Amino acid sequence: MAIDKEELKQKILEFATKKAKHKSKMYIKDLYKAAPDASPRQIKNAANELVREGKLEFFSSGSTTMYGVPGFGKSEKDQFGELEE
Amino acid sequence: MADVKKHDTPMCDELKSGPWPSFVDDIEQKGLKGKQDCLDLLGQLELSYVHKETHWKHGGIVGVFGYGGGVIGRYSDVPDKFPSIAHFHTMRVNQPASKFYSSAYLRKVCDMWDHRGSGMTNFHGSTGDMILLGTTTDQLEPVFYDLTHQMSVDLGGSGSNLRTPACCIGKARCEWSCLDTQQICYDLTQTYQDELHRPAFPYKFKFKVSGCPNDCVAAIARSCCSIIGTWKDDIRIDQEAVKAYIGGELKPNAGAFSGRDWGPFDIQKEVIDLCPSECMWMDGDELKIDNKECTRCMHCINVMPEALRPGTDTGATILCGAKAPILDGAQMSTLAIPFIRMEAPYDEFKDFVDKIWDWWMELGKNRERFGELIQRKSLQEFLRIAELKPIPQHVKEPRSNPYVFWQESEVEGGWERDIKAFRARHAA
Repeated sequence: MAIDKEELKQKILEFATKKAKHKSKMYIKDLYKAAPDASPRQIKNAANELVREGKLEFFSSGSTTMYGVPGFGKSEKDQFGELEE
Repeated sequence: MADVKKHDTPMCDELKSGPWPSFVDDIEQKGLKGKQDCLDLLGQLELSYVHKETHWKHGGIVGVFGYGGGVIGRYSDVPDKFPSIAHFHTMRVNQPASKFYSSAYLRKVCDMWDHRGSGMTNFHGSTGDMILLGTTTDQLEPVFYDLTHQMSVDLGGSGSNLRTPACCIGKARCEWSCLDTQQICYDLTQTYQDELHRPAFPYKFKFKVSGCPNDCVAAIARSCCSIIGTWKDDIRIDQEAVKAYIGGELKPNAGAFSGRDWGPFDIQKEVIDLCPSECMWMDGDELKIDNKECTRCMHCINVMPEALRPGTDTGATILCGAKAPILDGAQMSTLAIPFIRMEAPYDEFKDFVDKIWDWWMELGKNRERFGELIQRKSLQEFLRIAELKPIPQHVKEPRSNPYVFWQESEVEGGWERDIKAFRARHAA
């Protein structure tokens, strides 16, 4: 079934924002639940587009990458402080 | 000397006393030339030795705009003591296939990294990338701009991405290579740009390409999908050269074991008796090989390179699922396709990759390597989704599971039953 990309992005964003209240970072597999009819590849492409638009953000440990919603959880600055120049 | 402050590091200094060049020496020398980052790094390392725990925090930022990998965020958890390494991010740079560099390029990279980072590098990381160690968040975009616009190179893979594909030196310098490993590596890098730069998978995925079964890039031990060159026809034999090895005119292993006197070359003891499938023998003064029994161990070819060479009908063996020992121990790749032609544009191979990726993306658990998925779901299931016909070479050991699981398509009539017809014959 063809899924409209904008609709899919909206679903992912709503799902992630709701989930982020309890768990600020999520795996790509968690996002699959936002649209069970969409394929993993479609979800991945839509989620990555949301990152490019600044509506989601990546969090990486170096070995694994997770997705977060900006404003939820600790920000880069809270966590690691700002650089003194 | 530049205005830098050296910390008191007695335990690190101890490491300089060994017989080998020490990383402490290297880092200290760099620091004393004016890089406080390097001296702070040694200071923090000393503190870690004292406390017996790391003082790095990692995770967070992952890259430059549009990329989901290539940068590994690192932060000191004692920034007050070592302010110059408060942020000390690592950047991975995609190495050229087989790591052919020009000195002009290396100079440019080092100059850029001296200017924008700590000046420290690691050539190379385990995956094969050039590793640029230690920079601050505000320098990430400028470094990326310089790399892509001035040096025409790209960031490598990190996180849940396809990792930078790696290959051996291949046909560029090796007469045994059955594959153009560099072309394959480059083609895969270009084809899978999206997967390399943006997280697509439950965990990391690695391609490695070795030109022959010597597997100099250790693809079978390290990659989720190992591409290893092989041949279909017979090992080429030059009987005159065989005689020259026996007669001592040619040195075995190309003279590699000349450090002491091992005595005269004994072809029976050093080659024939060591063949794992016992498929070689001497017929008079001629060496014979039962090629259909050859398992491509490469030993005879390595010992007598002028007499024996791989065949000319070449392609690759594809194996899947190697991994390091995080869960369930380390495992080597398992055979998937015994022989596949590897000629551009590699459509047959890429079809295979698409099938296994779709399966992994759908069923793989978070942080589950591809090899662990095969282990969890069974080799049968892997072969079914990859549309590969089971062959004896896929069998690792006699079965320990007595059950046979059939697919519906394999059973006459499928799973559907007419309940009314059944009840007509059997009371409820």
